[in-house]
Amino acid sequence: MPIESYSLSSLPRRAVLRYLGYRGQEIASEIDARIDRFVARVLELAHPRSSWAVFDVAGRSARDDGTSETHLAGTALTLMGSSIATHMDGAVACAVMAVTVGMDVERELKRLSATDSVASVIFDAAASVAVEEAAAACQKSIIAEAAARGLHANARFSPGYGDLPLAVQPVLLASVDAQRRLGIALTDTLLMVPTKSITAVMGIFETSRAARRSELMSGSLA
Amino acid sequence: MRNLRVKDARLAAVLAQEECLLFDGAMGTQLQARGLAAGELPELLCLTDPDGIRAIHGAYVAAGADAVTTNTFGANAAKLGDAATVEQVFSAAIACAKASGAAYVAADIGPTGQLLAPLGTCSFDEAYTLFAEQVRAADAAGADLLIIETMADLAEAKAAVLAAKENSDLPIFCTMTFAEDGRTFLGTTPEVAAITLSALGVDALGINCSLGPAALVPLAKRMIPYADCPVMVQANAGLPRVEDGATAYDIGPDAYVAAVAEMVDAGVTIIGGCCGTDPAYTAAERRLLCDRGRDGGTGRLSRFDSVTSDLSPRHARHAGDVFTVTSAQSHVALAPGSVGVIGERINPTGKKRLKEALRAGELDYVMGEAIKQAEAGAQILDVNAGLPEIDERRTMLRLCTELSGVTTLPLQIDSADPAVIEAAVRSYPGKALINSCNGKREVLDAVLPLAAHYGCAVVGLTLDEQGIPQDAQGRLAIARRIVGAAEKLGIPRCDIAIDCLTMAASTDQSAPRAILDGIALVKRDLPGVRTVLGVSNISFGLPFRPLVNATFLAAAFAAGLDLAIINPLDPRMMDVVNSWRVLSGEDASAQEFVAEYANRPDAAAVAAPESSPSIRVAENAAAGYPAHEDQTIEQRIHAAILSGRKDPVPQQVEELLENGSDTLSVINEVLIPALDEVGERFERGAFFLPQLMASAEAAKAGFEVLRARGGSAPVPADKGKIVLCTVRGDIHDIGKNIVRMLLENYGFDVIDLGRDVDPQAVVDAVLAHDARLVGLSALMTTTVAGMADTIRLLRKQAPAAKVMVGGAVLNPEYAQMVGADYYAKDATESAKIAREILG
Repeated sequence: MPIESYSLSSLPRRAVLRYLGYRGQEIASEIDARIDRFVARVLELAHPRSSWAVFDVAGRSARDDGTSETHLAGTALTLMGSSIATHMDGAVACAVMAVTVGMDVERELKRLSATDSVASVIFDAAASVAVEEAAAACQKSIIAEAAARGLHANARFSPGYGDLPLAVQPVLLASVDAQRRLGIALTDTLLMVPTKSITAVMGIFETSRAARRSELMSGSLA
Repeated sequence: MRNLRVKDARLAAVLAQEECLLFDGAMGTQLQARGLAAGELPELLCLTDPDGIRAIHGAYVAAGADAVTTNTFGANAAKLGDAATVEQVFSAAIACAKASGAAYVAADIGPTGQLLAPLGTCSFDEAYTLFAEQVRAADAAGADLLIIETMADLAEAKAAVLAAKENSDLPIFCTMTFAEDGRTFLGTTPEVAAITLSALGVDALGINCSLGPAALVPLAKRMIPYADCPVMVQANAGLPRVEDGATAYDIGPDAYVAAVAEMVDAGVTIIGGCCGTDPAYTAAERRLLCDRGRDGGTGRLSRFDSVTSDLSPRHARHAGDVFTVTSAQSHVALAPGSVGVIGERINPTGKKRLKEALRAGELDYVMGEAIKQAEAGAQILDVNAGLPEIDERRTMLRLCTELSGVTTLPLQIDSADPAVIEAAVRSYPGKALINSCNGKREVLDAVLPLAAHYGCAVVGLTLDEQGIPQDAQGRLAIARRIVGAAEKLGIPRCDIAIDCLTMAASTDQSAPRAILDGIALVKRDLPGVRTVLGVSNISFGLPFRPLVNATFLAAAFAAGLDLAIINPLDPRMMDVVNSWRVLSGEDASAQEFVAEYANRPDAAAVAAPESSPSIRVAENAAAGYPAHEDQTIEQRIHAAILSGRKDPVPQQVEELLENGSDTLSVINEVLIPALDEVGERFERGAFFLPQLMASAEAAKAGFEVLRARGGSAPVPADKGKIVLCTVRGDIHDIGKNIVRMLLENYGFDVIDLGRDVDPQAVVDAVLAHDARLVGLSALMTTTVAGMADTIRLLRKQAPAAKVMVGGAVLNPEYAQMVGADYYAKDATESAKIAREILG
C-alpha cells in the first residue's frame, strides 16, 4: 500500500480554461494575468499525494434486489452496481486509489471565496486541474505496477459515476488508510474534504483492452 | 490546576522528566500481518479475537515496552456505529492490554474521522461529545493514562484534551502527526502544537506516525523549547512501498534507533513506534535506553541525570520568558524587548461600516478587514462583536470560525461578557489572548479561571470597583492584584499583559504621563509581565489625530510597552513600530527596515499597500478597451468595468460625484449600462466567466463608493430575491456560481446558500427572504435524489416558490421527474427564467 507524492511544475492551461467555460473568447490581459497568478498560487500550495493498493477480485454476486456486487480479497470494500460491474468485467484485480492536493489549497479556496470571487473561480478551476494531474500520476504508477506483473489496467472509475454510490466512500478511504496518510476526511453527506481530492478504482486485467475487444468481437462473430 | 491520578512513583518521575518511558510499536501493522482486511474496523477484534490482541501486546512487553497502547484508535461512536458500544470496546481492549502484564496501559484515542468546521462540517461540540464518551469508558475500564494521537487538526486535538481534562483525572499524552513539510495536514507547526498543548495542560506532548524517525528529529527539536512537559515521539518505520505485492517499510530497527538516539539526546524522554514497527524495534529502543543509562526499569537513572539539569533546553521556556499566542497554523512568540502589533479594526466601537456589516451578518467585509490588517503587519487580531442589537455570543463564534478560514493570525477575544469569552476560547483552535479581565473581584473570579482552563494568555485592565486610578502607583497596585490572582491559578507571568488604559489628553493633560509611568512601573515591579495598550484614545478631541497617536505610541514603546493595539492600516503607526524595532535592536542590523523603507521618499506620506502591482501593470493594456486621456470620466468607468479593472473605479466614481453627478444618475447612466453590456457580451459568448465576474466586481467597487456616500445602500434596481444552491450531497459549484454572477448582473438579489445544502435550509431561506424563485444545481447522478428531496420539501412548506434546476447531469425529462418548474440548460437560460417570473 504505497504512499506517493508528486511534484507539479505546471498545469495545462487549456484544461484550466475549459473549467472556466472558455470557448475561444478574447481574453483581456487583466484576466490573462490573473489566470497565471492563480495557477502559480495553486502550484505553490498544492501538495499532491496519493495512497493506493491493489486487491484481487474475489468473486461476483447479485443481491436479492438484483444489484450486482464485485467482491475483493483483503479489503472490506465491495463495489456495488451495474456500471462498476461492467467496468470490472473480466478483471482479476482492482486498484483502489485516493489522491488529494491537500488542505492548503482547501484553505485558500475558502479564503478566496470569502474575499475575491473572481480569484476564487480561477483558483478553483486550477486546483481541479491540479488534482486531475495528480490522479493521472497515480494512475501511471498503478499501470506500471500492473505491467510489472504482466497485467493491464483500465480507466479509473469514481464513486458517484453511474450507479456506484457515494456510500462506498468510508470503506474505500479506509482501505487505503486515506485519513491518516493523506488527511482526507468525509462529511456526513460523504463528501471529501479537502474537496480537491479524488477516489477511484481501476480494473486490472490479464489481457490488454485491445485484446479484450478483439476477443469480444471474435466471440460475437462465432 | 488539575489534580492528577498518577499510577506510581515511576510514572510520576516520567511526568517530571526525570525518567524515560518506552511505549510499544504499531498495532495496525501487526493486525494486518495477522490477516485483518483493509478498511475493516480493527477495534472490533478486541471483542472477537481477544487472544490475538493480547498476543500482540504481550510481544511488545516481552520486547521491553513499559506502556502498551490499547486497540481503540477508532473506537468512537461515529466509527463503531451499530457494531459495538464504546464502553464494550474500551472495556475489552483494556482487559487485553492489562493481561499482557505491561507496567502501564495507555488508552488510545485517535481522530474522530470527521473534519471540524470551518473546513469540515463536524462541530467542536460534536467532536467533544465523541471524545468524552471514550474518555469516560477508558477511565471506567481502568486505563493508567490517556493517549490522544495521530491528530492533524489542532481544534480536534483541543476538543479531545478538554474532553479528557473534564471527564477524567488520568494523565493526558497528546501527539500530532506531521507531513514532509513539517506541518500537519491542516497546517499546524511543531511550535504551535507545543505551545497550545502545553497551555492546555497536557502531561506529555509530541509527534507520532508522520514519517521515519530521522525526518522527525528536527521537528522534535522545534517542539522542545516550547514544551512545559515531557516530549514524546513515536515515528513510522519510514515510508511504505510495495515489495512482491506486499507492503514493506524502508527503515529497519538499527537505522530507526540511531535516529531515536538523536532525539533522546536532544531531550525527548518518551519513545516508541508507529506504523510499520514491530517488537524488534521496541527491543532495539529498550537497548538504547539501557545504553544511555535512561532505563528506568534498571533503576540506574537518578534524579540528577544530566538531561534534567538546568541547562536542559526543556527549561528554556520559563527562563526565556516568552509571550506566546497561537492560531492553528502560526504562533507569535515575543521575547522580552520585542514589540507586537494587535490590529484593532474588528471592533465595532466607533466604526459605522463594521456595525452595519455585523448587523447584516455580512461577514465578507469583516474578512476583508482581517486580511488587510494581516497584510499591513498585524500579528494578532482583536475580535469584538459587542453591539447591543446583535447576539454577541453567536456573532463572536461565527467570526472566530470564519476568520480562521481566511487568516492564520492568532486572535484576541475581546468581550465584556465572560460567557462570550468562554464560548469563543473553548473552541478556538489555538492559544488565544483574552481581552480582558480587570481588578474587580467579580471579573477576576469569572475570567481568570477561563484563561487557566482553556490555556489562554490574558489582558488585565488597571481598573477596579473604584474606577481607573489617576496615577501610576494606583495602576500598579491593581496590576499586582491581577498578577497575584492569575499566578494562583497557574497562569505564568509571561501569559499576562497589563493594560494601563489610555485616557484622552484633551480632557486631562496629566493623563499621558500617568499612563507612561504606569507602564514603566509594571515592567519594573512585576518582572516577566507584559504590557499592552490601545493607543488611539489619547488623541480624542484633537485635530490631526494620527500624528498624536504616533507620538504617543513611540513614547509608550520607550516606557516599555510590549503590545500595541492599533490600526495597522494607518501607515504612520506602522512606521513608528518599524522604526522602533530598529532603535530597540529587535530588527537586527535594521535589515527589515532597510528592505521596507530604503526606497521610500517620505515614509508617512506613502499610502497603505495596494492589492497587487501586477494589476496596475495590466491596467492600460486591457484588450480592446484602452483608457484614453480624452475620454470622459463616464467613458473611463465604462471601459474599466468592461475590461474588469476594479482599481480605478472608486476614484473615478468619486470624481463624478465631485463634478456634481448624483448617486442615482451614476447608477442608472453609468454603472447599469456598463453591466448590461457585460451581460449581453456574456450571452452571445464574447465574454467568458472570469471576465464577467471581473466586470461585476469592478461595478461593485463603484456601488461601494455610492453606498459609503449615501449612507443607506442604493442597490441597483432590485428585481426580487432568488435562493440559489448546490443540493445536499454535491459540492460542485462552479456552474452555480456562474448563474449567481449572471443573475446579480441583472439586478436580482441572490441569496447563495453555497453547496451541499440541506433541504430544510433551502426552505428556511426561501421563507425568511420571501423568495419567489429557487435555483437548484446538481452535478452527479447520485445527487439528483437530493434535488428531488429538496423540491418535495419546498412544495410542502413553501408552495409559492417556483423551482428551476440545472447541472451537467440534468435534462428536461430529469427536471420534470424531480418535480421542478423549469429546466435551465445554462446560465443565460436561468436569467431568462428569472425575468419571466420576477420581471
